[in-house]
Amino acid sequence: MNLTCRDSAASLDDYLDGQLDAPRHQALEEHLQGCPQCHLQHDRAAALRTELRALPAPAARPGFVNEALARAVRGADSATRHARPLVAMALAASLTLAVGVAIIVGTRPVSAPVQIVTLTLDQPETLRLRFNSAAPLPAATLSLTLPENLELAGYGGRRELTWQTDLNEGGNLLQLPLVARGAVEGDLVARLSHGESSKTFRVKIEVRSPSKTGMSAEPLAKLQSSRGTPWRT
Amino acid sequence: MPPILPFRRNRLASSNFEDILRPHVEFLYRLAWRFTGSTADAEDLVQDVLIKLFPRTRELSAIDKLRPWLARVLYRQYVDFVRQRGRSPMTGQATEAEGDDNPLDGFAAAVDGPEEQAERSQLHERILRAMDRLNPEQRAVITLHDVEGYSLVELEPILDTPLGTLKSRLHRARQQLRALLAMEPFSGGERVKE
Repeated sequence: MNLTCRDSAASLDDYLDGQLDAPRHQALEEHLQGCPQCHLQHDRAAALRTELRALPAPAARPGFVNEALARAVRGADSATRHARPLVAMALAASLTLAVGVAIIVGTRPVSAPVQIVTLTLDQPETLRLRFNSAAPLPAATLSLTLPENLELAGYGGRRELTWQTDLNEGGNLLQLPLVARGAVEGDLVARLSHGESSKTFRVKIEVRSPSKTGMSAEPLAKLQSSRGTPWRT
Repeated sequence: MPPILPFRRNRLASSNFEDILRPHVEFLYRLAWRFTGSTADAEDLVQDVLIKLFPRTRELSAIDKLRPWLARVLYRQYVDFVRQRGRSPMTGQATEAEGDDNPLDGFAAAVDGPEEQAERSQLHERILRAMDRLNPEQRAVITLHDVEGYSLVELEPILDTPLGTLKSRLHRARQQLRALLAMEPFSGGERVKE
């Protein structure tokens, strides 16, 4: 096989990468031996390959790794915080309610304000209840009472649910997929019991009719705040 | 019944994120520096990548071979970075010089003395200056294949490019680089980019 200088140039990379089949490999070597110009190109290409592999790169300056990781976490938190109002306005699908239960195992009642959330008629939305506990609460009992026209998705029309659950120390998240089927009068009541102690949380539900633009319209019903008795022991 | 889940996700996520990424940040920095040739740009690039990755902490923890995956994310960020900055690397095709004055001549053999080391250091500067003039796709394939040693098969998913395209891109990038080196004056100014 006789190669031209053009063939040689086209095959040089494959030759240096060890990708040529045996006949072409031999033909190229024969051409390089007989052609000073192609031999020079080969040497330059081989030298470049060697020097590229040896190219130094500086290490990151001291402290950069820690700073960059910390900034990434802070930056993401900051971005999330800034995005929250927009997300809430656009979706209104995930409503967070922080509920402190720091002294749930104590005996002294502390009043908790009634929280208000707004749902859109016939649109499933997730209500997130965050229980903050100062200590682990194994086998706590959680009871939910739903007012009329408020459904927990997947549980039909059940208005009362009770189950046992373990709470970790710190934050614990309960996500309730809710659907409002009409004007809601009355509160969603969550009662958490552990041993001899219990605490009751009330969530006032407002219902809005869906608008054509997807933005919230007027509430179907607006209830007066009813604090009731937030603590029972 | 609806389960109650641990809520302290942010603290866990940040801890996991740092545990997962810390062993790879130096690698990302080195690659970013090779892509950009600048300390400040490399830091910006790595920072942007880390900020993008933090919300994906859970996904990161499930990735088996993280380093190539990270290289891919960095590459995409680098291409965006170059285009946003409006840096305009050489767009035409340089022609390989036929003349005798080529900085690569004489470097095929191993050299170890102080003078040779100084010359080699100067040659590396010239190579870096020439790489600055490649387009981002060419620079990435040279960097990852010829400098970092990734095979073209490994680069297919990283650069999201078919093998045949990668081969021809690499061929053109090497040609371009050799031509740029031959064209560059030996007494070129210091390569200062901060």
